[in-house]
Amino acid sequence: MPTLTVTETEDQLIITVEDARIDAAIATRFKDRLREIVLRVRKPVRMDMRHVDFMDSSGLGAMIAVRKALPESLPLVLDGLTPNVERVFRLTRMDSVFQIGSASAP
Amino acid sequence: MSSIERQNAGLQSRPVTRSQPMFHRVLRADPHEVRKTLVDMRNRFASAVDADAMGRLELVLAEVMNNVAEHAATQGVGSGCMHLCIVMQDNGLSCAITDDGSRLPADCLKPRSLPALDPLDLPEGGFGWFLIQGLTQSLCYYREGPRNCLAFTVPYTPVS
Repeated sequence: MPTLTVTETEDQLIITVEDARIDAAIATRFKDRLREIVLRVRKPVRMDMRHVDFMDSSGLGAMIAVRKALPESLPLVLDGLTPNVERVFRLTRMDSVFQIGSASAP
Repeated sequence: MSSIERQNAGLQSRPVTRSQPMFHRVLRADPHEVRKTLVDMRNRFASAVDADAMGRLELVLAEVMNNVAEHAATQGVGSGCMHLCIVMQDNGLSCAITDDGSRLPADCLKPRSLPALDPLDLPEGGFGWFLIQGLTQSLCYYREGPRNCLAFTVPYTPVS
């Protein structure tokens, strides 16, 4: 199962992804779990991605599905993208769809 | 040519045989096996290849092998296994992936663009072959009887 740490504050939801890899082995469960969380809470979402050091296109597909599950009025900000994860968003131009926050500290 | 002549051919100019990391694995076509193989592959090459190339190599191999797991190695066709081989050459990391599943559709190898970016209905897939084509050089495919053979090179900077 994907490991997510969820912190709800008054005005936002902070989700820390504890998994090192968002790949085909986990993508479907990752998507289902995240969708369930963001749909239940209905607040702006910040995702802390700094522990994720690998993501493939099925992981990207899961992230896009979560973005689509949120109403357009609610932002989804991605913090702490590592170089391998940032590369996938950049090459697929999906960095224009998500709000990319601060990068991961080296 | 006699065996003596062959032994002496180019003796002076022959480069010394180098020892470089290689990687070979036969694995079940399954996303968990793919993950394990990628982790082992990364450990094998991490000290010899720059981090950027390592990331590109791992992404390309994930896309190719997960495609094999999802499409080619369908039940009832072939053994459900694939072979991976990676060799470090001076001009790049040469990779070959073969499997005995269904034939690769010709469309996959035609030049790809990104799926249409409709902001109201974002695509959730269709990125795999775009990434494979963009991150590799000399991508080629051959159907050898019941086997798919896909080969390509990923450029890298050696770590001294």
